[in-house]
Amino acid sequence: MTRTRAISGGAIVALLAVAVALPYIGATSYVISLVSTILIAGMLASSLNFLIGDAGMASLGHGAIAAASAYGAGWASKQGLDPGTQVLIALGITLVVSFMYGILSMRTSGIYFLMVTLALGMVVYGLAFRWSQVTGGENGISGIKRPEFIGEWWTFYYFLVGAFVLTTALLAVVSRSPFGASLRGIRDSETRMRSLGYSVPAYRLGAFMISGTVAGFAGLLSVWLTHFVSPSTAGVHKSVLLIVMVILGGVGTVFGPLIGAAVVVLVENVLSNEVERWPTVLGLIFILVILFARAGIVGSFNKLIGRLKRRATSTPSPPAEAELVTPSGAPVSERNHTA
Amino acid sequence: MMSKKMSPRGRWSAIVGLGAAAALALTACAPPGASPSGDDANEDTSTLKVGYISPITGNFAIAGQEMVDGWNLYWEVNGDEVNGVTVETVVEDDAGNPEVSLTKAKKLVELDEVDVVVGPLLANTALAVAAYTSSVGVPNLHPVAAADDLTQRSANDFTVRTGSMSASQMHFPGGVWAGDEGYKTAVTLCPDYAFGWESCAGFKQGFEQNGGEVTAQYWYPNGTSDFSTYVSQIRAAGADIAFVTTAGGAPGPDFLKSFMGLGLGDTQDLLMNCCSLDQATLRALGDDVLGFHSVSNWAEGRDSDVVREFNDAYGAKFDGKIPSLNVAGGYMTASLVAKVLEQHGYVSGDDLVAAISSLTVEDSILGAVSFDKYHNPIAPVYIREVQEIDGKLYNVPIKTFDAVDQWLGKTPEEVLAHESYSQSFQG
Repeated sequence: MTRTRAISGGAIVALLAVAVALPYIGATSYVISLVSTILIAGMLASSLNFLIGDAGMASLGHGAIAAASAYGAGWASKQGLDPGTQVLIALGITLVVSFMYGILSMRTSGIYFLMVTLALGMVVYGLAFRWSQVTGGENGISGIKRPEFIGEWWTFYYFLVGAFVLTTALLAVVSRSPFGASLRGIRDSETRMRSLGYSVPAYRLGAFMISGTVAGFAGLLSVWLTHFVSPSTAGVHKSVLLIVMVILGGVGTVFGPLIGAAVVVLVENVLSNEVERWPTVLGLIFILVILFARAGIVGSFNKLIGRLKRRATSTPSPPAEAELVTPSGAPVSERNHTA
Repeated sequence: MMSKKMSPRGRWSAIVGLGAAAALALTACAPPGASPSGDDANEDTSTLKVGYISPITGNFAIAGQEMVDGWNLYWEVNGDEVNGVTVETVVEDDAGNPEVSLTKAKKLVELDEVDVVVGPLLANTALAVAAYTSSVGVPNLHPVAAADDLTQRSANDFTVRTGSMSASQMHFPGGVWAGDEGYKTAVTLCPDYAFGWESCAGFKQGFEQNGGEVTAQYWYPNGTSDFSTYVSQIRAAGADIAFVTTAGGAPGPDFLKSFMGLGLGDTQDLLMNCCSLDQATLRALGDDVLGFHSVSNWAEGRDSDVVREFNDAYGAKFDGKIPSLNVAGGYMTASLVAKVLEQHGYVSGDDLVAAISSLTVEDSILGAVSFDKYHNPIAPVYIREVQEIDGKLYNVPIKTFDAVDQWLGKTPEEVLAHESYSQSFQG
């Protein structure tokens, strides 16, 4: 118990220390912008990870929620509204869109949920593409400004690190709460939870609102990073990549989404400098992880540590593994089939 | 028992807390690299480092590769050293995705410290990159991107369109020509996104300023492969001439197959654009498209020595193929850079853009080209007809509109005051 906690606590402190020290140990603003991209993608993937891992709802339209929020901020910026109003509009749109998603999908599950969220994502994409008076159509909106107090690249970077830590902690807390436990109950047996008197759709809607809000926040941050938004951010491609990130990292793990996001972003932006067929490489990595590390990179790593430890101490303590991997207590392997 | 369990947890939270406090303390002061390094473009003036962004993978891979080929071809033919300055190119793939494009632009500027960014190809990626490069003071040249706003609402002193035109500008003379030819009514079919809206708006305004009337406008989504319903609509509209644009690739041949398959080939007059009747289409459809008309700023069949030389050089390298607009754009951009280096030696920043914009080239592969103060070319637009020369099909100009600017017969102020073109606003 203490050892696993020591490992995870040490890892968190080390990660945080590296993240904070990065600008001081000679990382150029290019490296920082890459790390920022990873943090934002990780935040988005975390929001989806919460939905898939705890509620068993694999959304194929999550990228579009972030895009809607980004468009809100972009539109407000184009109208010359101040940053405070920008944030309000972005969050307002996020809430409305998440609510629409949640209301329309709360009575579905499995493949139907996938289809509903896919369709809603396409609606957002279609609006971004066609409603050109507001969204700029294919050209998108460029020149979006971020608030002055995070105007410098390094202040924005620290803001991002803080935001990432906060949202990750928030999602972990929600996941450990009774609410999270109820969600996992619904995921594992909807009928049982209903017969126990739980309102399943209400829980689903709640889970979606929480996840959607985090996704919208990530969308707002991404527009502050790139100063730009275009319909491709709302495309299916984006949402599929998010699911890839979650599965690569490990469904239901706290840091899996970050690791998955790092792999995808680095392949897309760094490996593509060297390798022309980088999409193939990404596909290969995905297939290898699915074949040999079903629990994802972080999930499998944790499993391995757990197995080594058990062999070393030979005192069986099964909950330890689950405690490290998933805040909830559900074994990793069980969580995976929901993806 | 309980207290024994609690103590390690307490220790860890203490460490985490300390870490957080240290982090806060660190963040309170700026890191060493925080002071804006500005544009510390390498002081080395013997090399012009070029970052070239193009979609070499994905849906637009062919066009993207052609754009790179055109650029490389110029330096291969003419040598990559001009006036003591060596041109060094780093090519990056953006897969047609604006965010990747932006990251690649950042990589080129901050890591490779390039002096100039060329590309990318698609309108949305081009606008995103231009906004970034202008914010960090790096010049950005556009060989192919046709988004109007690049040199209109988003125009700036670091961005210049070198090889293409704005989409409305390129198609405006098509409308003028149709009006002059005595056509009274027209029906248009354009792709349903910014490029299509802008190109159709250009044609419509040219046509209506010259006595014609556009009776119906149809739009097809990107990715359409079956055009038979649109062809039926064109037939039902019964206009004197049909104006059809595509952004290149499969839609051109796909449309023409439907068009001829439904028997309109002999009965309906048709004007297409640059990329619908480019060499790829001519290779695919062969003699069937002989005599078909299109409007473009590039005509591979123009009777000119520079065009012939360019065609031969490209053909020699790519087994007899004839270059398309994308190749011409890349080649043209390289030739403009070479001219500037010849005149001024090494230049960077907005000086490079200003130097390009002040050029007047009498005999480029695109014809006589100069630039307006928004850094957009004022250049010829050709009405082309597919003809056979020595057993090969060429787009041969049958009418040339010289010195076409991007204002469609209006003043810059009028154009910039109205909203961007869309399905519902065609000027």
